[in-house]
Amino acid sequence: MKTVRRALIGAGVLSMTYAAIGALADPDVKGGALLFLIGVLIAHDAILLPLVVGVGALIGRFVPLRRRALVRAALLITLAVTIVAVPLVLGAGRAADNPSLLPLNYGRGLLGIYGAIWVSAALAAAARAWKERPARTPSAP
Amino acid sequence: MVRDLAAGIVGLARRGHAWLNTPLPPPPATLRRGPLRRGAFESRLRSPRLTSLLGSALAVAFTVCFVTGLISHFIQHPPSWFVWPSRPVNLYRVTQGVHVATGLASVPLLGAKLWSVYPRLFGWPPVRNLAHMIERASIAALVAAALFQLISGILNIARWYAPMPFFFTAGHYWSAWLAIGALLTHIGVKLPIIRTALTRPTPDRVIDGGLTRRGLLGAAGAAAGIITLATAGQTIAPLAPVSVLAPRRPRSGPQNVPVNKTAGDAGVRNALFDPAYRLTVAGPARTVRLALTDLAALPQHTVALPISCVEGWSSIGTWTGVRLRDLVVLAGADPDDAEAYVESLEARGRYRATTVPPTHVRDPYTLIAMRLGGEPLHPDHGYPARLIAPNRPGVLQTKWVSRITARSAP
Repeated sequence: MKTVRRALIGAGVLSMTYAAIGALADPDVKGGALLFLIGVLIAHDAILLPLVVGVGALIGRFVPLRRRALVRAALLITLAVTIVAVPLVLGAGRAADNPSLLPLNYGRGLLGIYGAIWVSAALAAAARAWKERPARTPSAP
Repeated sequence: MVRDLAAGIVGLARRGHAWLNTPLPPPPATLRRGPLRRGAFESRLRSPRLTSLLGSALAVAFTVCFVTGLISHFIQHPPSWFVWPSRPVNLYRVTQGVHVATGLASVPLLGAKLWSVYPRLFGWPPVRNLAHMIERASIAALVAAALFQLISGILNIARWYAPMPFFFTAGHYWSAWLAIGALLTHIGVKLPIIRTALTRPTPDRVIDGGLTRRGLLGAAGAAAGIITLATAGQTIAPLAPVSVLAPRRPRSGPQNVPVNKTAGDAGVRNALFDPAYRLTVAGPARTVRLALTDLAALPQHTVALPISCVEGWSSIGTWTGVRLRDLVVLAGADPDDAEAYVESLEARGRYRATTVPPTHVRDPYTLIAMRLGGEPLHPDHGYPARLIAPNRPGVLQTKWVSRITARSAP
C-alpha cells in the first residue's frame, strides 16, 4: 500500500505543479482565475455551508421528530437543483438576436421541480404515517 | 564519492522529514471558540464511511469529467501524437454530453461530501506541524478546484461569463489539472482511512428522527437524478419535454438547429450577401475561386450529422453541399493525405479558422454545406457555406467559409 500511496501522491503533486505552471504561462488565465478559485472557496465554506448547517439546526428545533429526515432530504435536493438552476433563471446569458439560447422559462421549470420534490416528500410522509398508524385497540371487556 | 553523495541525500531527506514533523507551538486555548469548540457540530450522521462512499462516487465522476474534458481539449488543440477519428459520427456528441451531465450530477455529491467533512475545517490545533500544514493546503486546493470546475461549468452552459474574470476554456482546463492532481494526492494521503471505512461495517448511527446514512446517500442520488433528467434533454431529444432546465432545445433555432454565434455577433451580416462572394480554394497545384453557382454545379451530397457543442447540447441536421475532399482535389492536393485550413469571413475571433485533419478531410461525410434541411443555410448557420464534419465539436464547424487552403499533412 505504501508504494500505491507514494505513486498517487507523486502523480498528484506533478499534476498540480503542471496546473500552476501552465496557468501562469497562459495569457488567457491571468490573475482572474486565482481570484475565482479563492472566491468560490470562501463563498462555499464561509457562506453556503454555515447557512446549510444553520438551517439543519433550525429543522432539529422546529420540525417534529418524525418528519425531520424527510424535510432534510427534500431540502438537500432542493438546494442542489437550485444551484444548477440559478444562472438559467437569472438568464444573463440571453441574447436579443438568438432565441435558441436559453429558450425556456426556467423560473417556471424550477418551481415545477420544487413542486415535484415537496409533493413527493408529503406523499412519503403520509405513507409513513399510514403505515405507523396506531393499531385499533380492542375495547376492554 | 557516489556513496557519500547518496548518504548526504538520505541525511538531508531525514532532516527534512524531521523538520516537517516538528510540532508547532499550539495556539492559545482562548481562541478555541465558535465552530472550533469540541462538539460544535452535532450531527451524528458524519462518519469516515459516509465520506468515503461519497468520495468514491466523486472520484469516478471527476475521472470521467477529466478524461472526456481532456479529449475535447485535445481535439481543439491537438498535440502531434493525438489523432481523433472521424467515426463514429456521434462519438464526440456522447463524450461531451457525458462530460456536462456528469459534472452537473456531481453537484449534490460534492455538496454532501464537503458537508460531511466540514467539522475538520475547524480541527484543533489548526496546524500541528509543517507536514500537516501542507496537507491542509492541498485539501484547500482540492476543494477550491472542485468548486471552480462545477461552478464555472454551470456558468458556462448558462453562458453567463461576467462572474468569471478569465477566459472560461483556459481557466476550466488548468483548474482541471489542479483538481485531478489534488484528488490523487488526497486519495494517496487518506488511503488507509478509506480502506478501513469501506471494508469495516459501520453502524448507521443517528439520533432518532435524523437522516440516516442511507437516507442521505439516497437524497444525494435522487438530486443527481433529477438534475440529469432536468438538463439531459439538451442532447437526448426524447427527454426534452421533462428537461425543464435544459439550456438548449435540440429543435429550437432557425431551421430547427440551435445557434451559438449569430451572423450579427460575428460581424459578417453584410459580407454574406455580397454578390462578389467567392469561395477561394488554394492548394499545391492551383487556386480556384468559386461563385455560389460554381459550387452548386459540383456534385452535391446530403448527410445527417449532429452539431455537438462543447456546452453539451447537440442537434442533428440534414446538410447538403460539396465534399471537402472534392474541393481539395480541385486544388491539386491528395484527398487521402491532406489537411485543410478553413477560414471564415469573420475578421477576428478565436474560432474564425480551423484546421481539418486528414482523418476528416478524407471522410466523405465532411462537407462544405450550403443547405440545411433542404433550404439554403440561414445566415446564423453560416450562409453562404459552412463546414460540417462528423465527430467534431461545433465550435470547429466553421461558418461563413471564405477560404480553404489544402496542404499535404505534416
